[in-house]
Amino acid sequence: MKRRDFIRHSSALTGGALLLGAMPTLGAYAQSGTPTKGGTLIWGHSETTQNLDMHQTGTASTSRLLENIHDAIVTVDSDFNIVPSLAESFDVSEDGLTYTFRLRPNVKFHTGTTLSSADVKYSFERVKDPKTGAVNFEVFNDVAEILTPDDLTVIVKMSQPNAPFLARLAENGAGVIIPDGSGDTQGEHPVGVGPFEFVSREFGNEVELVRFADYWQGPAHLDKIISREVTEPTVRLTGLRTGEMHIINDIPLDRVTELEADSNFQVSKWFPLSWAFLNFNHKRAPFNDARVRLAIDHMIDKEVLVQGALWGQGEVTASPSFPSSASFNKDLSVRPQNFDEARRLLQEAGFGPGELEFVFKVTTNYPWHVEASQIMLEWFREGGLNVSVQQLTWSDWLSQCWVDRDYDVTMMNFFTLWEPDFLYYSLWHSTGAFNYRNVNDPVVDELAQRARVTVDPAERTKIYHELQQRVYDEALDVVLWFRNGTLAAQNNVGGLDKLVHPNGSNLEFRHLWLDT
Amino acid sequence: MRYLLNRIALLALTLLLISIVTFILTNILPGNVATMIMGTRGNPVSIAALEQELGLNDPLVVQYGRWIGGMLQGDWGTSLRFKEPIGSLLGQKMAASGMIVVLSLIIAILSAIPLGVIAAVKQNRWPDTVSSGVALAGISLPDFFWGIVLILLFSRTLGWLPSSGFVSPADDFWLSIKHALLPAIALGLSLMAHLARMTRSAMLEVMSQDFIRVCRAKGLSEGSVILRHALQNAIAPVVTVAGLQLGYLFGSIIVVESLFNYTGMGWLTYQGLLNRDVPLIQATVFIIAAVFMLSNLIVDLIYTVLDPRISFD
Repeated sequence: MKRRDFIRHSSALTGGALLLGAMPTLGAYAQSGTPTKGGTLIWGHSETTQNLDMHQTGTASTSRLLENIHDAIVTVDSDFNIVPSLAESFDVSEDGLTYTFRLRPNVKFHTGTTLSSADVKYSFERVKDPKTGAVNFEVFNDVAEILTPDDLTVIVKMSQPNAPFLARLAENGAGVIIPDGSGDTQGEHPVGVGPFEFVSREFGNEVELVRFADYWQGPAHLDKIISREVTEPTVRLTGLRTGEMHIINDIPLDRVTELEADSNFQVSKWFPLSWAFLNFNHKRAPFNDARVRLAIDHMIDKEVLVQGALWGQGEVTASPSFPSSASFNKDLSVRPQNFDEARRLLQEAGFGPGELEFVFKVTTNYPWHVEASQIMLEWFREGGLNVSVQQLTWSDWLSQCWVDRDYDVTMMNFFTLWEPDFLYYSLWHSTGAFNYRNVNDPVVDELAQRARVTVDPAERTKIYHELQQRVYDEALDVVLWFRNGTLAAQNNVGGLDKLVHPNGSNLEFRHLWLDT
Repeated sequence: MRYLLNRIALLALTLLLISIVTFILTNILPGNVATMIMGTRGNPVSIAALEQELGLNDPLVVQYGRWIGGMLQGDWGTSLRFKEPIGSLLGQKMAASGMIVVLSLIIAILSAIPLGVIAAVKQNRWPDTVSSGVALAGISLPDFFWGIVLILLFSRTLGWLPSSGFVSPADDFWLSIKHALLPAIALGLSLMAHLARMTRSAMLEVMSQDFIRVCRAKGLSEGSVILRHALQNAIAPVVTVAGLQLGYLFGSIIVVESLFNYTGMGWLTYQGLLNRDVPLIQATVFIIAAVFMLSNLIVDLIYTVLDPRISFD
């Protein structure tokens, strides 16, 4: 009651003031100082690590740990340019059909062997093989042949141009190189070229990593990392407060402000970690009618949602593209709340007050979605809709909404992807792997397909901007917000400003050190 | 001996029934492990393929037969979600939970009996009031509440004990005890309260009997009267309750283990349920039920030792 009042007021007060309030990429914790060598860092990790095979694992949280054991053939810088990593250079033929990678010499695996083209061929073919069950196998769909003319050269021949190929290699998983023939043991004991070596895992409890002395970018500062898997957010917070943990990720949203005010800790926030949207089932009338979707969009005050559901830990957006990436369409502005317009659109679509009835399904896996649904429920009532909210566990949500597509309206969030093909094709193309909303828009389909075969980056960016405009105009989904990533650390943890990878998801522990 | 055999046969039959009921219930629940494994990568085609691979499409009778067949040969199967052999998972997690359960039982008995005895001896005087008050608080407030209080006091304010996590006794014995101590206390508090109240009333009853008057008349010291004669007669029902509660303790570890992020059987059961991992749920429920029933059986057998008048044959 009180909180709802607060939300109403704050909505009036903040108006548009928060809109695009240029939030620094990193909070006030950024440190200077000289790294010291040694020490064991205890990390309170928010998830239980699952399959440790980097190619197979689907969860971002497991990758977050594994990224410290591996490196990919290429990576991205903070402007999302593809830059060399294990390949010291790469080259794409003019027709977009041949990729040549020149490998860095003397890169050592944790096993002591030296990285060669055979390992790259093995890794790529392993991901491509459907039997491997790799998450990103489709990255290699257009790969016709992989040649290894010498130890340090890899040539990838494509059957047709595939514009996102390099970018996808820089993403989690697909471009990671493992030693030739090591596939069968990766799930239990991952081996790579990364800054930390895997020592052991006590299932569900902790994972131990040690510094790899021969790391090709120079050894890390820390001797050891112990990743303690603590899924309960308040337990992580207690672990930090009692000093049992040096660093924790994912601070409960309602506790961020309190921790920020505490001088005993450093709080790091980055923007954005994920984005969220409201979904309509396009196969169900009347949600196949753009007027109904737009009417619902008009009922939502996104600013208030960010305050009320995210406790201010995020920002509104109308584009789901990574904000600093070229594909982010700056011309789209969040639709303001306008009940008159909403009612007019509903009337036009044939629904008077109280005549449209539906169920809004949300998953309790994301508590902020539950809060958001409750706030939206009030607006939907005010707009003359007859809505009930149904809360589902994660497994129920997956089976009902994601797989069976049995819902009217739902909402979901995804990690922010800077690579637009993956984002737009899989989510909005009618045949996209993530099209759980049954979106079937010929204009979107054509744009997503065209972007995929357009090699010129500027031209491609333009297509993605058009695509976003179409999603927005038709309100195919209602994009709501970007949510901040958060982590907190003891004051003696150095190098926090470099911890978060430009992709906004990975944590690079090699940059951290412990002051004694 | 015949009694024992009967009991064991009954126990096996009950476990079989429990496994069937668990199996049916988990299969009735919506969603399955395939959707959880695939997560947001799943689509009807890939999930159907995975269901096929995991054998989820076979008739329930076949699935159950496969499970029970493996069980009878000592094979617990493999967790569908975590791809780990369940036998080894159970081994690790049983040891972890066993530690806090046994520790909490010890703490509960060692603190409850003196508390109950003092309350009985000083009936209706302040030690009785304090002891009853403590017992009432222990019974009325849930273990997760006490868990939070313990964390605040011993971890945050005093900094004596760690607030979360499990350490294997094989790695570092003392550290593992330190990690187990707070969860054990939280788990054992309500049991302690129950036992203290039971001890008090049993003691009061015994103390009013004639043979106690005889003991006093013989000139025995008050300590000897209370400890050797009264307590020994009062303790049988207390032990029964303690033993029965062992199974109950094992059942309430889910909450306490989550609170302290202590990854034992409770955690494993919770993960199984969350992921609809049928073989894992089967195994954990089976174990918890078995512990419950075995502890009852053992209590009944201990009876005959504590009170020679009782015999089952």
